[in-house]
Amino acid sequence: MRRKWMFSIILLIVGFMVAVQYNTVQQPAERDTRDIWAIRNELAKERKLHNDLLTEVRGLDDTLAKYETSEEGEAGQALADTVRDLHEQAGMSDKTGPGIVIDVIPSDESIALGTPLHEVSPELLTRFVNEANRFKDIDMEIDGKRITALSAIRDINGETTVNGLPVELPPFQIKIISSDLKNSEKLYNFLQSSSILDDFYLDDFVLEISEPADGISISGRTDQPGNRFLKELPKGG
Amino acid sequence: MWLPILGLILGVSLGFLSDIQIPQEYGNYLSIAVLAALDTLLGGIRAHLQRVYDDLVFITGFFFNILLAAALAFLGVHLGVDLYLAAIFAFGVRLFQNLAVIRRVLLTKWSEIRKVSETNNS
Repeated sequence: MRRKWMFSIILLIVGFMVAVQYNTVQQPAERDTRDIWAIRNELAKERKLHNDLLTEVRGLDDTLAKYETSEEGEAGQALADTVRDLHEQAGMSDKTGPGIVIDVIPSDESIALGTPLHEVSPELLTRFVNEANRFKDIDMEIDGKRITALSAIRDINGETTVNGLPVELPPFQIKIISSDLKNSEKLYNFLQSSSILDDFYLDDFVLEISEPADGISISGRTDQPGNRFLKELPKGG
Repeated sequence: MWLPILGLILGVSLGFLSDIQIPQEYGNYLSIAVLAALDTLLGGIRAHLQRVYDDLVFITGFFFNILLAAALAFLGVHLGVDLYLAAIFAFGVRLFQNLAVIRRVLLTKWSEIRKVSETNNS
């Protein structure tokens, strides 16, 4: 009997060791092959996200504090402020600020060769918007149509449209507003050296980018964005 | 017969459930310890079948082999010689020898039983 117990305990130890060994061998199911720069990049990305979240939290805290401290009469004002802020964020209101104006014009070569004038393709415009959106806090308008988070650039019956409204044949203007002149300067330099200019040139267009200037104004989006999922709460709810 | 199997199952499930992992650097030591343990275990079974089993030899052999194997691997790492390969080789050879002996003993027992039952039947 004693022998049996001894064997059992030894087998228990052996089983435990085998299981631990199995665990250890199986552990790195997917090897981490990132080098130090990749990891650093990841870290930077996470840190940025962290920062953004903190900023957002601070903003919301401010709003909350405003609601709490405001008097009865001012509560309405605070709400109106919030609505205005939200309208601005959603791109519904007109905006003036430092920015750059970009003229999209047919290239000299295409004029000389007599290439028929055609529209800027939705793909090219989307590419341009994506390129410009590498910069944060910018507001953009293409041929008077405000680009918002809900804007669609697409082909409708052969016409390039933004927000469902047709974009004119070149020449037309693209306006981009940044938070301050310094950022406009950065955006200007970035676009000057960007390969997007070549992409436009391949399509027989040239982008003439103006120097950053103050007081560029862009219009807000005119149509109400569709709202399919949000519902108004009953009063007092 | 069932108690040792229960012990084995208990040990394996304990190991899996506790989810313990050994750092990569010590993986070698554990693997060699596992091998030593298996070797001793099979040696014990063989001794039991050959009726030369001794508790003290088995228990001391179990722990001593494990420790010695790990120590050998440790020494090998510090000397820059893969000594743990020697241990793996030695244990591996012994493991198979023990298995062979166990098989033969069991075979002999089985054929004896068959012979007895045949003579009984006839």
